[in-house]
Amino acid sequence: MIEFKNVEIKYGDFTAFKNLNLTVGDGEFFTFLGPSGCGKTTALRALVGFLTPAAGQIILDGKDLIRIPVEKRGIGMVFQSYALFPTMTVYENLAFGLKVKKMSASEIDKKVREAAETIAIKDEQLVRNVSELSGGQQQRVALARAIVLEPKILCLDEPLSNLDAKLRVSLRSELKKLQKNLGITTLYVTHDQEEALMLSDKIAVFNNGTVEQVGTPQEIYDHSKTEFVCDFIGDINKLGVKVVSRLNKEGASLDLNRHAYIRLERIHFAPGQGCLKLSGEVINFDYNGIMTKYHVNTCGEIVRVIKMNDGRPIYKNGETIDMYLNPADIMQY
Amino acid sequence: MLAKKRISIPGLVLKIAVAWALIAFVAYPVISLLIQTFWHDGAISTGVIGKVFSSARAVQSLKNSFILAFTLVITVNIVGTLCVLFTEYWDIKGAKILRLSYMTSLIYSGVVLVAGYKYVYGGTGLLTKLLLQFFPDMDPNWFVGYGAVVFVMTFSCTQNHMMFLKNAIHGLDYHTVEAAKNMGAGQAAIFFKIVIPVLKPTFFAITILTFLTGLGAMSAPLIVGGEDFQTINPMIITFSRSAYSREVAAFLAVILGVATIILLMIFSQVEKKGNYVSVSKTKAKLTKQKINNPVLNVIAHIAAWLMFAIYMLPIILIVIYSFCDYNTIMTGEFTPGSFTLENYQKLFTSIGAVRPYLVSIAYSLGAALLAAVISITCVRFVQKSKNKLNKLFEYGVLIPWLLPSTLIALGMTMAYGDRNPLIFNKVLVGTTVILLIGYVIIKLPFSYRMIRAAFFAVDDDLEDAAKCMGAGTLYTMRKIIIPVILPAVMSVVILNFNGLLSDYDLTAFLYHPLFQPLGIVIKAASDENASIDAKCMSFVYTVVLMILSSVALYFGQGSGMQTIRRWKQKRLEKKVFRK
Repeated sequence: MIEFKNVEIKYGDFTAFKNLNLTVGDGEFFTFLGPSGCGKTTALRALVGFLTPAAGQIILDGKDLIRIPVEKRGIGMVFQSYALFPTMTVYENLAFGLKVKKMSASEIDKKVREAAETIAIKDEQLVRNVSELSGGQQQRVALARAIVLEPKILCLDEPLSNLDAKLRVSLRSELKKLQKNLGITTLYVTHDQEEALMLSDKIAVFNNGTVEQVGTPQEIYDHSKTEFVCDFIGDINKLGVKVVSRLNKEGASLDLNRHAYIRLERIHFAPGQGCLKLSGEVINFDYNGIMTKYHVNTCGEIVRVIKMNDGRPIYKNGETIDMYLNPADIMQY
Repeated sequence: MLAKKRISIPGLVLKIAVAWALIAFVAYPVISLLIQTFWHDGAISTGVIGKVFSSARAVQSLKNSFILAFTLVITVNIVGTLCVLFTEYWDIKGAKILRLSYMTSLIYSGVVLVAGYKYVYGGTGLLTKLLLQFFPDMDPNWFVGYGAVVFVMTFSCTQNHMMFLKNAIHGLDYHTVEAAKNMGAGQAAIFFKIVIPVLKPTFFAITILTFLTGLGAMSAPLIVGGEDFQTINPMIITFSRSAYSREVAAFLAVILGVATIILLMIFSQVEKKGNYVSVSKTKAKLTKQKINNPVLNVIAHIAAWLMFAIYMLPIILIVIYSFCDYNTIMTGEFTPGSFTLENYQKLFTSIGAVRPYLVSIAYSLGAALLAAVISITCVRFVQKSKNKLNKLFEYGVLIPWLLPSTLIALGMTMAYGDRNPLIFNKVLVGTTVILLIGYVIIKLPFSYRMIRAAFFAVDDDLEDAAKCMGAGTLYTMRKIIIPVILPAVMSVVILNFNGLLSDYDLTAFLYHPLFQPLGIVIKAASDENASIDAKCMSFVYTVVLMILSSVALYFGQGSGMQTIRRWKQKRLEKKVFRK
């Protein structure tokens, strides 16, 4: 178990964060999610040992890590830039940490091959220089290099951000599978909320050096604790006063003094239990193959709503449609 | 707080050692020179100023140095830029051969090169003899003075263009050229509006270097300057020989130093004002441009090949002469019996003949390696420490860039002519070590700047990654950082080695009479009254020197390193596929 207890990190006069408190359970896939500059990488680097907190403790299995130097912590890391050693081959990159541990040549060879097999690196690639590999292959090598040392914890700092969209999605599932198989506690830093939702057992949403919410992906998405989390995660409608007043007239009891949000997919095209009706005119739509996102003018405000393209005709601009939404799905801050 | 503060004792000892070396051998000699020049009998004395300005020779040499520096900025930039454009940008026939000839300035320089030009254009030179057949009345010693110095230096100082400008032009994103074409720009517009602005920062850097070279010119004025065109540096040597005029020499060196500092300041201000940052995400490789205008195309080809002749003639002649007997060298008339291997035989059989080589190689290699090691150490101090005081190491190693080598040499001889507590009551003048120290000092600024650039280009994550895997600081340095910067360090070592191999400027002040380096021997051979035997040998020395430099360059350019890497990879392949 990893515990961040009242951790404070400063860069000169600037405080990156104060009183960071987090608990990561054994074998968990735990994601630090947030926009650029929110402190998520700083937290990760403090755990690995590249930064020393000005105050607080980082406890691993009951032992404070602060006084232990990086090289003694036994935490594996995959960097955003991969940080593969450019003067070495793939094999030498994988063997580096094992050589530092002064293992025998045969043991090193065995472990390198095992790691390569786990991450699907072929023998031909092992002898190649890292600069000769594609981005995806380099990513695999970086991952293999981190797991070959069998670390207690694996830290990944935006490891998929340099890859193209399709490769990113396919490596994402592989990463998830690998983590489950190895059962290794994994800390993952990303600004991609879709990635975080898909991969994580738990997510900590960071904003401006504070943790806004910690929870399972579902809790974060469906029951966002703060307005920032609700706005940052997924696509959402911020309902204006006119729409909220209208819904109250229809029977809802929403607070007009607070901001009201509803997820796009929680607005339906057919009546359901507890749902209230809103009518509006289609202003515009974005078609993306699987679904269509409609921009609908209702009560003089724009509400966005999505619909699966299941073969039924697509609504045209100017068409009037009925939308149904459950006040229980509306989050207020 | 960013990192843990752990004081390492070996690190501290190293810091103290480097700081002492910089104070003792960089700062103190300069301060000591200033004191000895301006401080007499416990008071500031300005008598030396009057002495210098009442000496017509000294004043003229000062003027000449500045005239030369300004002239060279123009001529070297023109010729150097043409060298790069002819071989890298425009589509000129035979560019590969042209490139080789233009790169010859990298394999020999200083006295060796000037002596080579003298054999072509000098009083007994080949070209002079040819011209005399057509114009019997002309002065055989026509190649003397301002024009001769400018000509020689213009063609010998283009090595910076061939290295840095060439790289800069290859760093150009060809897409920008294509974009300009696409928007209807002609060749001239593309060249002046797109290509040249990108090269501007490099031009600035090269211009500074050229100016400093002009200001501190030594070999060319000494050998082909004649009576009328002497510059500061040769004058400093002359004045420094007698105790009476030594302070005049020192003051001249101070003027040279002050001028250098002022100019560097002006240049760096100008440089700050207009710089560009490349915004290319994906760079396209440069494609050579065909000159569309047929007349200009022919002119470009003629100019390119004329420059080829200028670069190659001295070298060809040196090589031919190295195989000639002394009669031929004296008369310049070749007969079938002129050629002999005797000179080379002498080199490889007489220990006395090989000696200057061994001396020069030992000094140059030692100094080049030491300068690299000190630079790496200082870069590390500056880069890794949060303590601002460490920046002083950077200033320390960069000081010699501001000072002409003559000033450094004079400072050293004046500071360490007697026992000095700073160096544990030892005397340095007259020892073999002083030249090594001098060589290291003059090569420090260049080494530091290049190695620093290499260090800063290394991704910080590499070091963090190694630490993550349990590697300590020294192990990371040895296995990760050094291999990454090794190509840059190798180039620095080799360029310094080549530069020092035939150095004359600093050597003339500091060499030990029993261990004469090549520069001194070759310069002596180029004198009119040198013995014929010495002349014969100087050709052989020069040829072997050029071969040595070329070999060093070949390895420095990475070809040698690549071969080693390929061999290592093959070994690994065997190991992996065996199982």
